Amino acid sequence: MSFTSPAFHIDRISVVGEEAEFVKMFDPRPVGAGPALPERIDVTTLPIQLGANPRANPVPEVMQALGLGIPGRPHTRDMDLLNGLALPTWDGAKILNFMTIRDKDFGLGGTYPGPIIRIPRGVIVHADLSGKGPPPHTIHWHGLEPTPINDGVGHCSMEIGSYTYQFQPNFIGSYFYHCHRNTVQHFEFGLFSLLLIEPPDAYFASIGAINPDGTVTLNSIPVGACLDGRFRTAANLLTLPASIQAKFPGFIAGDPVFGVAGPNDVGVGHPHAFTVPYDVEVLWVPDDRDSRWSDLASDAFATFPVHGLTPGADDDFQANPAIQNFFAFNDYRADYWFITGLPVPTPPGGTGTIPPGIVIPPGGNSGRSGSQVSVNARVGQTIFLRCLDAAYNNIRVTLPVDAVITAWDGRALGVPPFNRYNHAYVAPANTPMTFSVARRFDALIKAETTMNTFAKVEFMDTRGNAVTATALIPFQISP
Amino acid sequence: MKEVSRRKFMKYSLGSMAALAVGSGLDWIKNEAIAAPRVNTLNFHITDAIKDMGTHNSINTAQCYFWVYKEDRLPAESPGPTIFATEGDVIRINITNDLDEPHAFFIPGMFNSGPIAPGQTVRKFFTAKNAGPHLYFDNLNQPVNRAMGLHGAIIVHPKAPAPGHKFTPYGKPTPAVQQLFDDFGSTAWWPGLAWEQGDPATNTPPFRRHIWLFHQASPTLFAAVGNFTPGLDFPSGQFVQRFLHDDFSPTNNENIQGEVGSDIPRYFTISGQSGHFSHNTPYINPTFRVGEPAVVHILNAGLMTISMHVHANHFFVTYFNGVVQENPIWVDVFNVYPMAIIDYTLPYMRPPDVPNVRGIGRADAGLPAGVSGGTTWPPNEEIRTFMPGPAPAGVTPFQIVGNLTDGAGNSLGVQLSPLCYPAHDHSEPTQTSQGGNYNMGLIAGMNFIGDRNTPGAMNFPNQPLIHGPGPGSPFGVDGLIFPTAVQPPWFQEG
Ligand SMILES: [Cu+2]
Ligand SMILES: [Cu+2]
Repeated sequence: MSFTSPAFHIDRISVVGEEAEFVKMFDPRPVGAGPALPERIDVTTLPIQLGANPRANPVPEVMQALGLGIPGRPHTRDMDLLNGLALPTWDGAKILNFMTIRDKDFGLGGTYPGPIIRIPRGVIVHADLSGKGPPPHTIHWHGLEPTPINDGVGHCSMEIGSYTYQFQPNFIGSYFYHCHRNTVQHFEFGLFSLLLIEPPDAYFASIGAINPDGTVTLNSIPVGACLDGRFRTAANLLTLPASIQAKFPGFIAGDPVFGVAGPNDVGVGHPHAFTVPYDVEVLWVPDDRDSRWSDLASDAFATFPVHGLTPGADDDFQANPAIQNFFAFNDYRADYWFITGLPVPTPPGGTGTIPPGIVIPPGGNSGRSGSQVSVNARVGQTIFLRCLDAAYNNIRVTLPVDAVITAWDGRALGVPPFNRYNHAYVAPANTPMTFSVARRFDALIKAETTMNTFAKVEFMDTRGNAVTATALIPFQISP
Repeated sequence: MKEVSRRKFMKYSLGSMAALAVGSGLDWIKNEAIAAPRVNTLNFHITDAIKDMGTHNSINTAQCYFWVYKEDRLPAESPGPTIFATEGDVIRINITNDLDEPHAFFIPGMFNSGPIAPGQTVRKFFTAKNAGPHLYFDNLNQPVNRAMGLHGAIIVHPKAPAPGHKFTPYGKPTPAVQQLFDDFGSTAWWPGLAWEQGDPATNTPPFRRHIWLFHQASPTLFAAVGNFTPGLDFPSGQFVQRFLHDDFSPTNNENIQGEVGSDIPRYFTISGQSGHFSHNTPYINPTFRVGEPAVVHILNAGLMTISMHVHANHFFVTYFNGVVQENPIWVDVFNVYPMAIIDYTLPYMRPPDVPNVRGIGRADAGLPAGVSGGTTWPPNEEIRTFMPGPAPAGVTPFQIVGNLTDGAGNSLGVQLSPLCYPAHDHSEPTQTSQGGNYNMGLIAGMNFIGDRNTPGAMNFPNQPLIHGPGPGSPFGVDGLIFPTAVQPPWFQEG
């Protein structure tokens, strides 16, 4: 018995009778101008009014009122994919190629990461997506769960062309969106950003008046805050010790059995049911890049297979219409690292610190001001931290303060009814939390004493678990 | 034009997706979810095989050498067959080592064959215990023998639920996990069936569970092990170094001969399959209705960390490395470290972000939508969409997008029914085969074949004949191993 004389041969399973399924798996084909949206709701005629069901997404109009742009179609986000971007590395040694998402109505050019999308819970979302440059692409709203055609996975439905995605976010929390075509390459090359579902009255709360032409006039409530003027997010603090609950005043509970609904699941309860207010929002998106892939496989067609005349028999899995002989998407070796688009200045194996005082501008943040990357809060404030692992590495996050973990993956812990089986918990200061690609946690932190220190994000190789780089993020609490 | 209808699911009968039930058995094992023949004794040979991988065809060699646990009554395959047993069953096992170096059969906390010399047969027995999922593997020369393919899953079912409670997959569930399984099918927010509950009228089995057994294969390194000096163990340190950290090569699409490329794994499998062959089979891909909760047992026999993401439903992490969870989080992706054993419990709720009346994540009535006079749920227009090619004769489509055909002019159009969602590693390098070929890697899915909670929506078109985990082959082998699947009356095609 050996490699040269094995006892058995195991055949590949036949695809006869399933040729279409088989081919679609690796060759879904873009559909040009794009399919019609089935079960289409005409959002242009829906009111942007809290309490109306259904109601449209008010964010484009609120962004327009901020002077950030003009929506091409009412209540609709309009983006395109594959805007090339070349950024030098921190050490000047390389130029990294990015593929980016462009917010057509509200941004110039593409950014890395793409525009942060925020949506109040319960509105009907329409997002027009089109490919730019070579198709195909899709957008997957990671963690949101609509019908398959709106889920944005090529082989399960189709690839764009162009298409209007339709869904209604039903759970407040932290998600992201990314291209789901050749994801191994396109997610790596930057076709993604955060997707944040806000309380149902966010954005609506900032609208003072709706004008006859459909534009809106803003009031004094900060964009993204709720009707009480506070920024809020989903949580259930009731299972925590009273001493910890007391650190986060303003928490509003809801129906103990039915959660955000009223008693016996009738109607909808308080819009702030099972939410907690916070003062400072912090967004961490640890990411990494393999410059070999950037150098050798920057063409969006790299390693696309082609179906043959007899599917299952002569499909061309060696085809590489883009670049000859690159077939190494199985072998990822990060050598550059980022936190929310900021380079971590370190060679492999070392430690780099990102600058203090980094704040995300409202144009790329759905009109929201003041979201931080490096932490800069005052004693007494509540910090709300969202962290997405967008690296092809595991990450190990160590915070210098106690944090209450309120949610994973857009599902607030302990919120009834669906999530009454679990509970929020305290992650003690200086205790590492390790988690894998695409996972998100949300955490509440009370700034209790002055600090001038760092949080630590270590990137760990999925092959062997070695730490490949360490990022330090300034963590400053002033009096 | 030949009609190529979606998802016939006829051929997924063999090898790694096969299952054997041992011991006395209980009612739970007599259902089609398992559909495994009862055996009194397991008879394994430790042997080897060359396997054609997912991208293998007449013009492209994609093969890999494996060591396999071959059960006498089943075809050779890596991983070995899934073994189903009930807590307390005594399982007899005979193992013959046909390879050139010592091998073993090991289940942590349950059984250890000890080293079996080349040519030797051992006859032993053990008692199934610790209800839940377990990995069996060769624990000699770790991790080489396991990584070469000598591994499989053994699922131990509890004898009985706690008095006054419903079954969970565990002997000693935590209060939270017990509550979850008690709530399925009996609360306003989890309408439908309990996990322990089937429905013969819809051919729905009770105790719905699937096995996702992850593995990573390096054809060049596995060939080197197969060519190593007979009787000697391949150095494990060298194996790990080459498997995880071999030099980068820009080209990894060469064939098994291994003259070119890196020893980094090129094939990433779930229960021995990848791409279409793991995604489009109901033996691997859970295929149920809204209101039919299911458990997926995830085991990672490989050496890489997998970050397994499920579309369509968040899942509860109910079990992690031998521990039923005190705080089962509800997530859409979770880390699966090498040798990890993790249960994803899928509520099979309606995908909650489909537009509905209140927009709070309930299965409220859909909103009026589309041009057909329907609502957003069930998505009848979407279900009648075909792409990227024409619909077969006799089906009235909502829309046809694209015109893709094969060389004989047959349509490669696919109907968007049943509702198809992927489940895949988000550490995306494993989504490849031979260094590229996206979506031919480690991918399963979550399909919806109907909704038992919405009147008139019980059955979406193109339902498969069977539910996993296999075999349930309509062809059978020996007439003993695989019971013949009978086409249920509700089966619809096209
Ligand atoms: Cu994703
Ligand atoms: Cu995905």
